[in-house]
Amino acid sequence: MILGKKKKIRWLIICLLSVFVVLISISVIIVSQKELPTDDLRLAREALSEAKEAEADIYSDKIYKQSVQMYDSAMVNWSRENTKFILFRDYTKVIGFAKKAKKGADEAKEESIKKADNLSKNVDAAFVNMEKKIELYNKLFKNLPIPKSVFDAHNKSKMFFSESKIAQGNGKLKDAEILFKKAEIYANHANVAAAKMLRDYFNDYGRWKNLANDAISASRGGNKVILVDKVAHILYVYQSGKAIRSYDVEFGPNWMAHKERSGDKATPEGNYHITKKKERGSTTYHKAMLIDYPNADDRVRFAQKKRQGLISRRAGIGNLIEIHGNGGRGFDWTSGCVGMRDRDIDDLYRLVGSGTRVTIVGSIESLSVITGGLDF
Amino acid sequence: MKSKLMIAIAAMGIAVLFSSCAKVPQAEVDAATAAIQEVKDAGADLYVPEAYQALVDSMKSANEKIEVAKAKWFPNYTKAKETLAFVSQNAVDTKAKSEARKVELKAETEAMIVEVKALVAENTALIAKAPRGKEGREALEAIKSDVAVAETTVAEVEALLANGDLIGSNDKIKAAKQKATDIKAELEAAIAKKGGK
Repeated sequence: MILGKKKKIRWLIICLLSVFVVLISISVIIVSQKELPTDDLRLAREALSEAKEAEADIYSDKIYKQSVQMYDSAMVNWSRENTKFILFRDYTKVIGFAKKAKKGADEAKEESIKKADNLSKNVDAAFVNMEKKIELYNKLFKNLPIPKSVFDAHNKSKMFFSESKIAQGNGKLKDAEILFKKAEIYANHANVAAAKMLRDYFNDYGRWKNLANDAISASRGGNKVILVDKVAHILYVYQSGKAIRSYDVEFGPNWMAHKERSGDKATPEGNYHITKKKERGSTTYHKAMLIDYPNADDRVRFAQKKRQGLISRRAGIGNLIEIHGNGGRGFDWTSGCVGMRDRDIDDLYRLVGSGTRVTIVGSIESLSVITGGLDF
Repeated sequence: MKSKLMIAIAAMGIAVLFSSCAKVPQAEVDAATAAIQEVKDAGADLYVPEAYQALVDSMKSANEKIEVAKAKWFPNYTKAKETLAFVSQNAVDTKAKSEARKVELKAETEAMIVEVKALVAENTALIAKAPRGKEGREALEAIKSDVAVAETTVAEVEALLANGDLIGSNDKIKAAKQKATDIKAELEAAIAKKGGK
């Protein structure tokens, strides 16, 4: 009886163990059949790494950030699933997030490469444009008496441009673009201000041309006529319609303006005559030839501007404008006179006498000739 | 027979017990995470970005390995631990590299500051010797302004350096050096031209 009971228990245990083993085997089979997200996560991570290397965090930041979030979500979900009993784990979501992360990272990488390439091309084109602006400034404006604020702006623009080039060289295209934009702002400011100044000055070109033509015509009878071109910084002596002499000259620092009042350091423009010749000893400038500034036109203009309040009521019109020596200094240093090298004034002094016509103009040549047809 | 069965059941129980005892190497994870943070605080993401990124990727890989282990019947964190150990060790190296790069950048910037200051002084002296041609005054005024810009940039670089912006200050001083060198070449060429006349 007891033996029969023992047998029953043994069979029961064997059955239970068999069931247990079968269950374990089924579980192992189920678990081993389940797809783990390992490869998907690895691929997503590698794709993100490549995207980062392609600077997707800079050029395609939105897609890149979303992809990072997808990867993080995949990891969080994986970890959460792993806390569940092994048979109840489901990695579908994890794999979904990982696949999205990879797809996004790939897209971000591609977009980043395209954007960086476009930016690189844009920066290259912008650099060429900037080089042109700097070249234009150097050709047209560098030697003009432009305000300090203008050439300061130009120099700042060159500095930012230089920094931008360095950033580009280091592959920091975004930084290069930011620095370039700063450079462009300063360059535009400098070029626009200088161009306006030059254009405004050449508003009188029609009058200058008439004055110059008139002066040259006046020399056709054999009289010597002095014609001064302020932009070219040249004093010509015309006779019989031809330039028989030319000398380099210097003016006052504010030469790009018509003289209006005493102390403005500008050189007058118009028709004048030599009223007095000063030998060595009677001038501190080696030799000098006084001209009749202010003439009638100057007086009318001065009175009118004073009435309009454009010139201080206390200001004088100025006088003692001469063609004199002590020049050749290489810069515009006079108080409005025309400065020449001593040997040149010696030659001119011999050549012309009192009463010689002196015509001073801004420029004999038009602005387009001066600028060589450059668009500015 | 009964005792044999009992032994088998006990063995299985022990196996299950052991398997559930293999815990996530949290201490190693925390150490590696802290090491990465320390490296970031040292500016490695700025000064040695590639090495830093490699470190971050390794950490991610370690986390994945932990989850792979967790997903198994009998978790084995050996591989994850190895990667975490690599991260911790590599973090030390990366931090050292970052610090070295910072020292190198700072020294380079400081040396260039000295160079640019010397160039500015040389340029100022050269301006006095420069020929005053037809364009003289305006051209020289422009060059003086250029020199002043280079000088101002040096001051800006020193301020950036004092604020710990080693990369910004380095880029800026390079531009200033380039400018000062260009000015010097321009002045020397003008002086040489004058001498040749």
